[in-house]
Amino acid sequence: MSVSTDSLFMLFWLLLASYAAGILLPFCAPRKPHIQGMVGSACSCAASLIGIALGLSGLVAAEPLTAMLPAPIPLLAFAIRLDPLASFFVLTISLAGLAAAIYAMGYLKEFHGRVSVATLAALTNGFLLSMTLVVMADNGFFFLMTWELMSLASYFLVVTEHEKEDVRHAGFFYLVMTHVGTAFVVLTYLILFQSAGSFSFESFRHPEQALPEGMKTLVFLAALIGFGTKAGIVPLHGWLPYAHPAAPSHISALMSGVMIKTAIYGLIRVYFDFLGGQFPWWWGFVILVIGTLSAILGVMYALMEHDLKRLLAFHSVENIGIILIGIGAGMIFQTYELKEFAALGLLAGLYHTINHALFKSLLFLGAGSLLYATHTRNMEEYGGLLRRMPWTGLFFLIGAVSISALPPSNGFVSEWLLFQTLFLSVQLPALFLKLILPIAAALLALTGVLALACFAKAFGISFLALPRSAHARQAEEVPIPMRVGMGILALLCVGLGLAPMIVVPLLDRITGPLTGASISHKILALDGWALAPGTVQFSSISPPMLAAMLILSGLLGLFLAVLLGGRLMTRSHKTWGCGLTLTPRMEYTATGFVQPMKRVFSTIYQPTIKLETEFLEESRYFAKQRKFEFHIEPVFEKYLYDPVVNAFWGIADRLRILQAGSLHLYLTYIFVTLVILLLFAV
Amino acid sequence: MQISPHIGSQLVDLCSALLLLTCFAIVAQRRLSACVDLFALQSAFLVLTAALVAFLTGNPHIYIAAALTGVIKVVIIPRVLKKVIERLNVKRELVMNVNVPAGLLICGALVMLAFFITQPIIPLGFLLTRDSLAIALAIVLIGFFTMIARQKAVSQLVGFLVMENGLFLGATAATYGMPLIVELGVFFDVLIAALIAGIYTNRLQDAFDNVDTNHLTTLKE
Repeated sequence: MSVSTDSLFMLFWLLLASYAAGILLPFCAPRKPHIQGMVGSACSCAASLIGIALGLSGLVAAEPLTAMLPAPIPLLAFAIRLDPLASFFVLTISLAGLAAAIYAMGYLKEFHGRVSVATLAALTNGFLLSMTLVVMADNGFFFLMTWELMSLASYFLVVTEHEKEDVRHAGFFYLVMTHVGTAFVVLTYLILFQSAGSFSFESFRHPEQALPEGMKTLVFLAALIGFGTKAGIVPLHGWLPYAHPAAPSHISALMSGVMIKTAIYGLIRVYFDFLGGQFPWWWGFVILVIGTLSAILGVMYALMEHDLKRLLAFHSVENIGIILIGIGAGMIFQTYELKEFAALGLLAGLYHTINHALFKSLLFLGAGSLLYATHTRNMEEYGGLLRRMPWTGLFFLIGAVSISALPPSNGFVSEWLLFQTLFLSVQLPALFLKLILPIAAALLALTGVLALACFAKAFGISFLALPRSAHARQAEEVPIPMRVGMGILALLCVGLGLAPMIVVPLLDRITGPLTGASISHKILALDGWALAPGTVQFSSISPPMLAAMLILSGLLGLFLAVLLGGRLMTRSHKTWGCGLTLTPRMEYTATGFVQPMKRVFSTIYQPTIKLETEFLEESRYFAKQRKFEFHIEPVFEKYLYDPVVNAFWGIADRLRILQAGSLHLYLTYIFVTLVILLLFAV
Repeated sequence: MQISPHIGSQLVDLCSALLLLTCFAIVAQRRLSACVDLFALQSAFLVLTAALVAFLTGNPHIYIAAALTGVIKVVIIPRVLKKVIERLNVKRELVMNVNVPAGLLICGALVMLAFFITQPIIPLGFLLTRDSLAIALAIVLIGFFTMIARQKAVSQLVGFLVMENGLFLGATAATYGMPLIVELGVFFDVLIAALIAGIYTNRLQDAFDNVDTNHLTTLKE
């Protein structure tokens, strides 16, 4: 199949025009927040639809689309290139953007009169546009510009509710971290520029003189730190659980679902594309270890979180870890020239990338709906919402099933492929790696289990049983646009789980050129109805059949129940509560639910529990009041972030002597510097 | 009419020297309105220099730059500053960070420094204005020094404008003027700077009942 370059080009300009309209038009309706929000969201909808078309046609196009506008600044060129890798990320961004834009049509009502809806809508469009351009950029300079625009747009979106102290704090934390990251990304590109002599990506791929080994290592580390900060790998994830929840929910969905993926794009671009997949084995090993650590620690901290949006943010750390496990394994195989396995690892990572974008956006939109309905993020105040918000509940459940990697969801397929990749490590020549990869697989399994526990908690505590607060009792189903936004993502989650035979060949077009091995015909067995990464004998699975089996066995169970247990009847009785009246206070709390895990992993959590009891004056056998406090040790903040911040404060305090506040003194500083420099010049 | 390059060069030097002289007058002058007048005079000399260079080189765009200098620096900015002085009712600079005799001595030293620095560069030039480069640098340094020495915001602004005059002279001396577009940008900047500083002085007056910039130290955290 081929798509003409002209039509691609036209789509690209349409995309730019739609986003530009989305940035400008909301300001044309002053004092009408409803219209501003609608216009802005409609523009992002249109642009996202074009983006989806662009991404899909870019994936199947024979030749990558390239375009270039020269710029007045030397070394800069507004060059874009839509190869399969870029197209895939454009598609991912646009899918999540579409759902978020439709969702925003209803959700923005929350902000009327409080913040400028026009600014919010314009920034959302700018954010989506900058992300799209980041993955399309074909020039290092241009990439950095769009990267910075993306960071700034997302910063301003995070501080939408800047009247709140904690939002400002989250925004500042994010701004600092993202700039530290950007500094390392700049370093990466500068090193590449050194040998290439130009900022164009083409020259990065084929530099005039090859990079020396030491410089290559530096590129690896700088890119890992730079992009890793944006992706939120452990231990650079500190900002993520603050910034993502602070933003409006549809923005959280975009940040957590797609923005952190631009970092994954950056890593693949640098390692596989620029460096041509030529690297020592320990690079892949480092990525694998970091990925495993991020996955396991991310899910563990998520488990302890009772703020729904913070919980989801920690799950982003986990899922970025899972994606990196795939990429890391792919890199290890690439080193040993096992190209097909490398392609498989990369493919599993990319599959999980789009899956995570879909289900994490879905879950964040779901969390936004709960916030919209109850005005609180604390899970302990939810409860019984399934009856009041059935649609939101259904969509959230689909998202929860996907993120927990249960069949027949999309998360299951990608994680299954990942497990297969890791098991194929028996083919590796090095014994050490033969041992390490299965350990990663075991930890990945543990991650999956904990994620399941976490979402059993999140869904159970939020949606089941009785309402725990007045907020939850008064909750109502959210408006239709919000439901449509979530519904699209839920459908896609199921669709991508059932149709790997469509997804895999498309992903193969990306991994093929990067690793030099096309594997889609090998993975797809039985005319595409089954997946068999190694051989059919080694392992194979058929997601559609699995889904059919699940439904059939469910029906069979129902049938047997009817057959053996008699007629299905509805009997209405009060639940038996040992003679007591049932109240929400008797329910399992979120804290109680995770108590066993807290015990088992107490070495990692290092919990501090404080229990204060105030007794009745008459007798110590009766407590008047009990106060329970529980904290887990923020290890990374305490031992990594705080020392660095304190060191900075120390230096700043010392430097403050220079800042006397006198204009004349400042002028004198400049004057003396000038004169001294002039004297040196002679 | 033809003028021999030698005489032309001498004429340019003479005009530049007049500019430098007004600098010293500004440093020595305590009355603010006189300072502004002296600045206007200096700008007029600058117009003369630029016009002379334009005539000698036959470079039409320097005429435009000269005309703009005339309008902005001889007419508009002095007028704005006079208004500010009138409104604020500040006539004289009473306390200075550096007193007048010491200031004049320092300025003398700065001129020497400027000549010392440009000495190795000037023989390399081949333009008839090349000797003015040292004077231009001296004017920049003296302007800067004025900003440090004076305490009232208005005289600091005059110092800033003197610096700008020095830069303009330097540009004319070194390369027969910058490209016109750059000159236009600079003029715009200077005008805005003068306006902003005027507003800033007014705000200073409102906030502290005084335009002494020393009061700004209280803004320190």
